[in-house]
Amino acid sequence: MRCRALAAVLVAAGLTACAGPGSLLESSRGAALPPSVELRSTPFHSQTDQQCGPAALATVLGAAGQPVAPATLEREIFVPGRRGSLQPELVGAIRARGLLPYELGGSLDELAAELAAGRPVLVLQKQGLGPWPAWHYAVAIGYDSERDVVLLRSGTTERLELRAPVFEASWSRAGRWAVVALEPGTLPAQPDLSRYVHATAALESVGRLDAAAKSYQAAVRQWPDAPMPRFGLANVAAARGQWSEAERGYRAALKLEPRLAAALNNRAEALAQLGCPLTARRELERGAAAIGPDDPLRATLSLTLAELEARGNTSEAQACRCYGMDACTAP
Amino acid sequence: MIFRKAVVYALCFAVFNLGSPLVARAELVGTLQAVESSTRAQDLATVSAALARQEVREQMAALGVDAADIDARVARLTDSELQTLADRMGEMPAGGDALAVIGIVFVVLVILELVGVIDIFKKT
Repeated sequence: MRCRALAAVLVAAGLTACAGPGSLLESSRGAALPPSVELRSTPFHSQTDQQCGPAALATVLGAAGQPVAPATLEREIFVPGRRGSLQPELVGAIRARGLLPYELGGSLDELAAELAAGRPVLVLQKQGLGPWPAWHYAVAIGYDSERDVVLLRSGTTERLELRAPVFEASWSRAGRWAVVALEPGTLPAQPDLSRYVHATAALESVGRLDAAAKSYQAAVRQWPDAPMPRFGLANVAAARGQWSEAERGYRAALKLEPRLAAALNNRAEALAQLGCPLTARRELERGAAAIGPDDPLRATLSLTLAELEARGNTSEAQACRCYGMDACTAP
Repeated sequence: MIFRKAVVYALCFAVFNLGSPLVARAELVGTLQAVESSTRAQDLATVSAALARQEVREQMAALGVDAADIDARVARLTDSELQTLADRMGEMPAGGDALAVIGIVFVVLVILELVGVIDIFKKT
Protein backbone atom coordinates (compact mmCIF):
# COMPACT_ATOMS: atom_id res chain seq x y z
CA MET A 1 0.00 0.00 0.00
CA ARG A 2 2.80 2.40 0.93
CA CYS A 3 4.65 1.39 -2.25
CA ARG A 4 1.71 2.44 -4.43
CA ALA A 5 1.58 5.81 -2.65
CA LEU A 6 5.30 6.34 -3.29
CA ALA A 7 4.85 5.43 -6.93
CA ALA A 8 1.93 7.85 -7.25
CA VAL A 9 4.03 10.65 -5.72
CA LEU A 10 6.87 9.96 -8.16
CA VAL A 11 4.52 9.99 -11.13
CA ALA A 12 2.90 13.20 -9.94
CA ALA A 13 6.31 14.82 -9.48
CA GLY A 14 7.20 13.87 -13.04
CA LEU A 15 3.93 15.19 -14.44
CA THR A 16 4.03 18.59 -12.72
CA ALA A 17 7.02 19.42 -14.89
CA CYS A 18 4.66 19.36 -17.87
CA ALA A 19 1.92 21.67 -16.54
CA GLY A 20 1.31 25.24 -17.69
CA PRO A 21 0.04 26.75 -20.96
CA GLY A 22 1.96 28.82 -23.56
CA SER A 23 4.41 30.55 -21.21
CA LEU A 24 6.85 31.46 -23.96
CA LEU A 25 4.13 32.79 -26.26
CA GLU A 26 2.98 35.22 -23.56
CA SER A 27 6.53 36.26 -22.76
CA SER A 28 7.58 36.96 -26.33
CA ARG A 29 4.39 38.90 -27.08
CA GLY A 30 4.72 40.94 -23.89
CA ALA A 31 8.29 41.94 -24.68
CA ALA A 32 7.65 42.66 -28.40
CA LEU A 33 10.10 40.00 -29.55
CA PRO A 34 10.15 38.08 -32.83
CA PRO A 35 7.89 34.99 -32.77
CA SER A 36 10.84 32.67 -33.23
CA VAL A 37 14.63 32.78 -33.11
CA GLU A 38 17.27 30.15 -33.79
CA LEU A 39 20.99 30.95 -33.49
CA ARG A 40 22.04 28.33 -35.99
CA SER A 41 25.69 29.35 -36.14
CA THR A 42 26.20 28.66 -32.42
CA PRO A 43 28.99 26.07 -32.13
CA PHE A 44 28.23 22.63 -30.79
CA HIS A 45 30.45 20.67 -28.43
CA SER A 46 29.17 17.23 -27.59
CA GLN A 47 29.78 16.68 -23.90
CA THR A 48 31.79 13.82 -22.46
CA ASP A 49 31.08 12.17 -19.12
CA GLN A 50 30.49 14.78 -16.36
CA GLN A 51 31.68 17.57 -18.66
CA CYS A 52 28.49 19.44 -19.54
CA GLY A 53 30.07 22.53 -17.93
CA PRO A 54 33.07 22.71 -20.27
CA ALA A 55 30.89 21.82 -23.26
CA ALA A 56 28.29 24.51 -22.52
CA LEU A 57 30.94 27.09 -21.64
CA ALA A 58 32.92 26.36 -24.83
CA THR A 59 29.68 26.92 -26.74
CA VAL A 60 29.00 30.41 -25.35
CA LEU A 61 32.67 31.43 -25.53
CA GLY A 62 32.84 30.30 -29.15
CA ALA A 63 29.70 32.25 -29.98
CA ALA A 64 31.27 35.32 -28.32
CA GLY A 65 34.29 35.14 -30.60
CA GLN A 66 36.63 33.20 -28.31
CA PRO A 67 36.66 29.61 -29.57
CA VAL A 68 38.08 27.13 -27.09
CA ALA A 69 37.99 23.37 -26.70
CA PRO A 70 36.05 21.85 -23.79
CA ALA A 71 39.15 19.90 -22.80
CA THR A 72 40.97 23.18 -22.14
CA LEU A 73 38.10 24.39 -19.98
CA GLU A 74 38.07 21.20 -17.91
CA ARG A 75 41.23 22.35 -16.17
CA GLU A 76 39.60 25.69 -15.44
CA ILE A 77 36.23 24.61 -14.09
CA PHE A 78 35.90 20.86 -13.49
CA VAL A 79 35.92 19.72 -9.85
CA PRO A 80 36.56 15.95 -9.79
CA GLY A 81 35.29 15.47 -6.25
CA ARG A 82 31.95 17.06 -7.21
CA ARG A 83 31.76 15.26 -10.58
CA GLY A 84 30.92 18.54 -12.27
CA SER A 85 31.54 22.26 -12.49
CA LEU A 86 30.42 25.11 -10.24
CA GLN A 87 28.66 28.27 -11.35
CA PRO A 88 31.13 30.86 -9.95
CA GLU A 89 33.96 29.18 -11.86
CA LEU A 90 32.06 29.29 -15.16
CA VAL A 91 31.53 32.99 -14.57
CA GLY A 92 35.22 33.41 -13.68
CA ALA A 93 36.29 31.65 -16.88
CA ILE A 94 34.25 34.07 -19.00
CA ARG A 95 35.72 37.00 -17.09
CA ALA A 96 39.29 35.70 -17.43
CA ARG A 97 38.94 36.04 -21.21
CA GLY A 98 38.06 39.72 -20.97
CA LEU A 99 34.37 39.16 -21.68
CA LEU A 100 31.66 40.49 -19.38
CA PRO A 101 29.68 37.65 -17.74
CA TYR A 102 26.25 39.18 -17.23
CA GLU A 103 23.76 37.30 -15.10
CA LEU A 104 20.15 37.65 -16.22
CA GLY A 105 17.34 38.56 -13.82
CA GLY A 106 15.41 35.28 -14.10
CA SER A 107 12.53 36.09 -16.40
CA LEU A 108 11.83 34.04 -19.50
CA ASP A 109 11.30 37.16 -21.58
CA GLU A 110 14.72 38.52 -20.66
CA LEU A 111 16.19 35.19 -21.78
CA ALA A 112 14.21 35.38 -25.03
CA ALA A 113 15.35 38.98 -25.52
CA GLU A 114 19.01 37.92 -25.31
CA LEU A 115 18.36 35.23 -27.92
CA ALA A 116 16.61 37.79 -30.14
CA ALA A 117 19.71 40.00 -29.76
CA GLY A 118 21.82 37.15 -31.17
CA ARG A 119 23.40 35.90 -27.96
CA PRO A 120 23.08 32.28 -26.79
CA VAL A 121 22.38 31.92 -23.07
CA LEU A 122 24.20 29.60 -20.67
CA VAL A 123 21.69 28.05 -18.27
CA LEU A 124 21.66 25.66 -15.33
CA GLN A 125 18.91 23.08 -15.11
CA LYS A 126 17.94 20.74 -12.32
CA GLN A 127 16.71 17.52 -13.77
CA GLY A 128 16.18 14.27 -11.96
CA LEU A 129 13.76 13.59 -9.14
CA GLY A 130 13.78 13.88 -5.37
CA PRO A 131 16.90 12.33 -3.86
CA TRP A 132 18.59 12.12 -7.28
CA PRO A 133 19.16 15.71 -8.43
CA ALA A 134 20.92 15.98 -11.74
CA TRP A 135 22.41 19.41 -12.32
CA HIS A 136 23.08 20.21 -15.94
CA TYR A 137 24.48 23.13 -17.92
CA ALA A 138 23.03 23.73 -21.36
CA VAL A 139 22.94 26.60 -23.84
CA ALA A 140 19.65 28.12 -25.03
CA ILE A 141 19.98 28.96 -28.72
CA GLY A 142 16.44 29.78 -29.69
CA TYR A 143 12.72 29.54 -29.17
CA ASP A 144 9.53 29.11 -31.16
CA SER A 145 6.63 30.86 -29.47
CA GLU A 146 4.00 29.40 -31.81
CA ARG A 147 4.97 25.87 -30.80
CA ASP A 148 5.96 26.99 -27.31
CA VAL A 149 9.38 25.36 -27.38
CA VAL A 150 12.88 26.34 -26.29
CA LEU A 151 15.86 25.20 -28.38
CA LEU A 152 19.10 24.18 -26.71
CA ARG A 153 22.55 22.78 -27.30
CA SER A 154 22.47 20.20 -24.52
CA GLY A 155 24.74 17.34 -23.61
CA THR A 156 25.23 15.19 -26.68
CA THR A 157 22.24 16.72 -28.50
CA GLU A 158 23.06 19.47 -30.98
CA ARG A 159 19.47 20.66 -31.26
CA LEU A 160 17.24 19.78 -28.35
CA GLU A 161 13.64 20.95 -28.42
CA LEU A 162 12.06 21.24 -24.99
CA ARG A 163 8.48 22.32 -24.43
CA ALA A 164 8.76 25.74 -22.77
CA PRO A 165 7.01 24.69 -19.54
CA VAL A 166 9.34 21.69 -19.22
CA PHE A 167 12.40 23.88 -19.77
CA GLU A 168 11.07 26.49 -17.39
CA ALA A 169 10.42 23.91 -14.66
CA SER A 170 13.96 22.52 -14.79
CA TRP A 171 15.39 26.04 -15.01
CA SER A 172 13.29 27.29 -12.11
CA ARG A 173 14.42 24.43 -9.91
CA ALA A 174 17.98 25.55 -10.59
CA GLY A 175 17.24 29.08 -9.38
CA ARG A 176 16.64 30.51 -12.86
CA TRP A 177 20.37 31.00 -13.34
CA ALA A 178 21.28 32.28 -16.79
CA VAL A 179 24.42 34.05 -18.02
CA VAL A 180 25.48 35.70 -21.26
CA ALA A 181 29.04 36.58 -22.30
CA LEU A 182 29.02 40.20 -23.44
CA GLU A 183 31.66 41.91 -25.53
CA PRO A 184 33.11 44.72 -23.40
CA GLY A 185 31.23 47.93 -24.10
CA THR A 186 28.10 46.08 -25.21
CA LEU A 187 24.90 46.38 -23.23
CA PRO A 188 22.54 43.44 -22.65
CA ALA A 189 19.07 43.35 -24.24
CA GLN A 190 17.34 44.56 -21.07
CA PRO A 191 20.07 46.51 -19.26
CA ASP A 192 19.89 46.59 -15.48
CA LEU A 193 22.16 49.25 -13.94
CA SER A 194 23.09 47.46 -10.76
CA ARG A 195 23.76 44.08 -12.36
CA TYR A 196 25.74 45.67 -15.19
CA VAL A 197 27.91 47.79 -12.89
CA HIS A 198 28.48 44.82 -10.58
CA ALA A 199 29.62 42.64 -13.49
CA THR A 200 31.89 45.39 -14.80
CA ALA A 201 33.38 46.01 -11.35
CA ALA A 202 34.17 42.30 -11.12
CA LEU A 203 35.96 42.51 -14.48
CA GLU A 204 37.91 45.49 -13.14
CA SER A 205 38.83 43.62 -9.97
CA VAL A 206 40.63 40.87 -11.90
CA GLY A 207 42.69 43.46 -13.74
CA ARG A 208 40.81 43.56 -17.05
CA LEU A 209 41.00 47.37 -17.11
CA ASP A 210 40.51 47.98 -20.84
CA ALA A 211 37.44 45.77 -20.91
CA ALA A 212 36.07 47.32 -17.73
CA ALA A 213 36.63 50.86 -19.04
CA LYS A 214 34.72 50.10 -22.24
CA SER A 215 31.81 48.69 -20.26
CA TYR A 216 31.77 51.58 -17.78
CA GLN A 217 31.70 53.98 -20.73
CA ALA A 218 28.72 52.15 -22.20
CA ALA A 219 27.03 52.40 -18.80
CA VAL A 220 27.73 56.16 -18.61
CA ARG A 221 26.04 56.61 -22.01
CA GLN A 222 23.07 54.43 -21.01
CA TRP A 223 22.62 55.90 -17.52
CA PRO A 224 24.10 59.40 -17.63
CA ASP A 225 22.76 60.34 -14.19
CA ALA A 226 24.11 57.29 -12.37
CA PRO A 227 27.21 57.92 -10.21
CA MET A 228 28.60 54.37 -10.11
CA PRO A 229 29.71 54.01 -13.76
CA ARG A 230 31.62 57.31 -13.49
CA PHE A 231 33.11 56.15 -10.19
CA GLY A 232 34.21 52.89 -11.80
CA LEU A 233 35.75 54.72 -14.74
CA ALA A 234 37.63 56.97 -12.32
CA ASN A 235 38.95 53.92 -10.45
CA VAL A 236 40.23 52.45 -13.71
CA ALA A 237 42.03 55.73 -14.43
CA ALA A 238 43.49 55.66 -10.91
CA ALA A 239 44.69 52.10 -11.40
CA ARG A 240 46.51 53.32 -14.51
CA GLY A 241 48.04 56.28 -12.63
CA GLN A 242 45.98 58.76 -14.66
CA TRP A 243 45.19 60.95 -11.67
CA SER A 244 43.85 63.97 -13.54
CA GLU A 245 41.27 61.87 -15.34
CA ALA A 246 40.52 60.01 -12.11
CA GLU A 247 39.91 63.26 -10.21
CA ARG A 248 37.50 64.42 -12.91
CA GLY A 249 35.59 61.16 -12.71
CA TYR A 250 35.32 61.21 -8.91
CA ARG A 251 34.16 64.83 -9.04
CA ALA A 252 31.51 63.96 -11.62
CA ALA A 253 30.27 61.06 -9.48
CA LEU A 254 30.08 63.30 -6.40
CA LYS A 255 28.16 65.93 -8.32
CA LEU A 256 25.56 63.25 -9.09
CA GLU A 257 25.68 61.80 -5.58
CA PRO A 258 27.37 63.86 -2.84
CA ARG A 259 26.86 60.97 -0.39
CA LEU A 260 29.09 58.57 -2.33
CA ALA A 261 31.75 58.21 0.36
CA ALA A 262 33.91 55.99 -1.82
CA ALA A 263 34.21 58.77 -4.43
CA LEU A 264 34.93 61.36 -1.73
CA ASN A 265 37.66 59.18 -0.30
CA ASN A 266 39.27 58.35 -3.61
CA ARG A 267 39.09 61.94 -4.87
CA ALA A 268 41.17 63.00 -1.87
CA GLU A 269 43.84 60.49 -2.87
CA ALA A 270 43.72 61.68 -6.48
CA LEU A 271 44.18 65.30 -5.38
CA ALA A 272 47.11 64.30 -3.20
CA GLN A 273 48.64 62.45 -6.14
CA LEU A 274 48.23 65.59 -8.27
CA GLY A 275 50.33 67.49 -5.74
CA CYS A 276 47.41 69.18 -3.99
CA PRO A 277 47.38 67.74 -0.46
CA LEU A 278 45.92 70.85 1.19
CA THR A 279 43.05 70.98 -1.28
CA ALA A 280 42.62 67.24 -0.80
CA ARG A 281 42.09 67.76 2.95
CA ARG A 282 39.78 70.74 2.47
CA GLU A 283 37.64 68.95 -0.10
CA LEU A 284 37.45 65.84 2.04
CA GLU A 285 36.38 67.80 5.12
CA ARG A 286 33.86 69.77 3.12
CA GLY A 287 32.38 66.69 1.49
CA ALA A 288 32.28 64.66 4.72
CA ALA A 289 29.37 66.79 5.93
CA ALA A 290 27.15 65.10 3.35
CA ILE A 291 28.10 61.58 4.42
CA GLY A 292 25.57 59.81 6.64
CA PRO A 293 26.60 58.83 10.18
CA ASP A 294 25.89 55.17 9.41
CA ASP A 295 27.93 55.05 6.23
CA PRO A 296 30.19 51.98 6.32
CA LEU A 297 33.05 54.04 4.92
CA ARG A 298 33.13 56.70 7.63
CA ALA A 299 36.09 54.95 9.25
CA THR A 300 37.95 54.88 5.92
CA LEU A 301 37.32 58.59 5.42
CA SER A 302 38.71 59.39 8.89
CA LEU A 303 41.76 57.28 8.13
CA THR A 304 42.38 59.06 4.84
CA LEU A 305 41.99 62.45 6.51
CA ALA A 306 44.43 61.44 9.26
CA GLU A 307 46.93 60.27 6.65
CA LEU A 308 46.66 63.58 4.78
CA GLU A 309 47.17 65.53 8.01
CA ALA A 310 50.14 63.36 8.92
CA ARG A 311 51.93 64.37 5.70
CA GLY A 312 52.27 67.82 7.25
CA ASN A 313 52.12 69.83 4.00
CA THR A 314 51.93 73.56 4.49
CA SER A 315 51.80 74.68 0.85
CA GLU A 316 50.83 73.55 -2.61
CA ALA A 317 50.78 74.93 -6.18
CA GLN A 318 48.49 77.88 -6.98
CA ALA A 319 46.68 75.83 -9.61
CA CYS A 320 45.45 73.47 -6.89
CA ARG A 321 42.92 76.04 -5.74
CA CYS A 322 40.93 75.37 -8.88
CA TYR A 323 39.99 71.89 -7.75
CA GLY A 324 37.92 73.32 -4.94
CA MET A 325 35.91 75.73 -7.05
CA ASP A 326 33.27 74.67 -9.56
CA ALA A 327 33.85 77.70 -11.78
CA CYS A 328 37.54 77.02 -12.22
CA THR A 329 38.65 75.29 -15.40
CA ALA A 330 41.67 73.37 -14.13
CA PRO A 331 43.12 70.75 -16.52
CA MET B 1 42.17 28.04 18.03
CA ILE B 2 45.76 29.21 18.58
CA PHE B 3 46.79 27.80 15.21
CA ARG B 4 43.89 29.60 13.51
CA LYS B 5 44.91 32.86 15.20
CA ALA B 6 48.48 32.35 14.02
CA VAL B 7 47.20 31.78 10.49
CA VAL B 8 45.16 35.02 10.69
CA TYR B 9 48.16 37.03 11.92
CA ALA B 10 50.39 35.51 9.25
CA LEU B 11 47.81 36.31 6.59
CA CYS B 12 47.39 39.87 7.88
CA PHE B 13 51.14 40.37 7.69
CA ALA B 14 51.34 38.85 4.21
CA VAL B 15 48.32 40.79 2.93
CA PHE B 16 49.46 44.17 4.21
CA ASN B 17 52.90 43.62 2.76
CA LEU B 18 51.61 42.58 -0.61
CA GLY B 19 48.86 45.17 -0.78
CA SER B 20 45.27 44.47 -1.72
CA PRO B 21 44.78 43.15 -5.27
CA LEU B 22 41.55 45.16 -5.46
CA VAL B 23 42.93 48.70 -5.29
CA ALA B 24 45.81 50.60 -6.81
CA ARG B 25 46.72 52.28 -3.51
CA ALA B 26 46.00 51.15 0.00
CA GLU B 27 43.81 54.24 0.54
CA LEU B 28 41.53 53.71 -2.46
CA VAL B 29 38.10 52.13 -2.18
CA GLY B 30 37.59 49.60 -4.98
CA THR B 31 34.51 49.70 -7.21
CA LEU B 32 33.43 46.19 -6.21
CA GLN B 33 33.64 47.14 -2.57
CA ALA B 34 31.60 50.30 -3.13
CA VAL B 35 28.99 48.36 -5.13
CA GLU B 36 28.68 45.54 -2.62
CA SER B 37 28.67 48.08 0.26
CA SER B 38 30.45 45.94 2.75
CA THR B 39 29.54 46.87 6.31
CA ARG B 40 32.96 45.75 7.52
CA ALA B 41 35.97 48.02 7.63
CA GLN B 42 38.21 47.75 4.60
CA ASP B 43 40.95 46.02 6.61
CA LEU B 44 38.66 43.33 7.93
CA ALA B 45 37.19 42.72 4.45
CA THR B 46 40.69 42.20 3.10
CA VAL B 47 41.48 39.64 5.79
CA SER B 48 38.15 37.83 5.27
CA ALA B 49 38.85 37.64 1.55
CA ALA B 50 42.30 36.21 2.20
CA LEU B 51 40.85 33.59 4.52
CA ALA B 52 38.14 32.68 1.99
CA ARG B 53 40.80 32.38 -0.71
CA GLN B 54 42.84 30.02 1.45
CA GLU B 55 39.73 28.01 2.32
CA VAL B 56 38.79 27.62 -1.35
CA ARG B 57 42.35 26.56 -2.24
CA GLU B 58 42.22 23.83 0.40
CA GLN B 59 38.78 22.61 -0.63
CA MET B 60 39.74 22.50 -4.30
CA ALA B 61 42.79 20.43 -3.46
CA ALA B 62 40.68 18.10 -1.32
CA LEU B 63 38.19 17.75 -4.18
CA GLY B 64 40.87 16.65 -6.59
CA VAL B 65 41.65 19.83 -8.51
CA ASP B 66 45.19 19.69 -9.90
CA ALA B 67 47.53 21.73 -7.66
CA ALA B 68 49.04 23.41 -10.75
CA ASP B 69 45.61 24.83 -11.67
CA ILE B 70 44.39 26.09 -8.30
CA ASP B 71 46.18 29.47 -8.25
CA ALA B 72 44.87 30.52 -11.65
CA ARG B 73 41.35 29.37 -10.84
CA VAL B 74 41.25 31.25 -7.55
CA ALA B 75 42.79 34.44 -9.00
CA ARG B 76 39.91 35.02 -11.41
CA LEU B 77 37.18 35.01 -8.74
CA THR B 78 35.79 37.98 -6.83
CA ASP B 79 35.84 38.06 -3.05
CA SER B 80 32.13 37.32 -2.80
CA GLU B 81 32.45 34.40 -5.24
CA LEU B 82 35.31 33.07 -3.10
CA GLN B 83 33.14 33.44 -0.01
CA THR B 84 30.30 31.52 -1.69
CA LEU B 85 32.69 28.74 -2.67
CA ALA B 86 34.31 28.69 0.76
CA ASP B 87 30.89 28.28 2.36
CA ARG B 88 29.20 25.93 -0.09
CA MET B 89 31.67 24.26 -2.43
CA GLY B 90 30.74 20.87 -1.10
CA GLU B 91 26.99 21.14 -1.64
CA MET B 92 26.25 23.78 -4.25
CA PRO B 93 24.98 22.63 -7.68
CA ALA B 94 27.68 20.91 -9.72
CA GLY B 95 26.55 20.59 -13.35
CA GLY B 96 27.88 17.40 -14.83
CA ASP B 97 25.62 15.25 -16.91
CA ALA B 98 22.42 15.26 -18.86
CA LEU B 99 22.83 11.52 -19.13
CA ALA B 100 21.53 11.10 -15.57
CA VAL B 101 18.06 11.99 -16.83
CA ILE B 102 17.77 8.78 -18.78
CA GLY B 103 18.91 6.91 -15.70
CA ILE B 104 16.29 8.61 -13.53
CA VAL B 105 13.49 7.81 -15.93
CA PHE B 106 14.61 4.19 -15.97
CA VAL B 107 14.67 4.03 -12.19
CA VAL B 108 11.17 5.49 -11.99
CA LEU B 109 9.91 2.94 -14.49
CA VAL B 110 11.51 0.12 -12.51
CA ILE B 111 9.85 1.34 -9.32
CA LEU B 112 6.47 1.60 -11.02
CA GLU B 113 6.93 -1.90 -12.43
CA LEU B 114 7.86 -3.32 -9.05
CA VAL B 115 4.82 -1.88 -7.34
CA GLY B 116 2.58 -3.15 -10.06
CA VAL B 117 1.38 0.20 -11.44
CA ILE B 118 2.75 -0.65 -14.89
CA ASP B 119 3.72 -3.85 -16.63
CA ILE B 120 6.10 -2.96 -19.41
CA PHE B 121 9.22 -5.01 -18.78
CA LYS B 122 9.20 -8.34 -20.60
CA LYS B 123 9.36 -11.37 -18.40
CA THR B 124 11.01 -14.48 -19.81
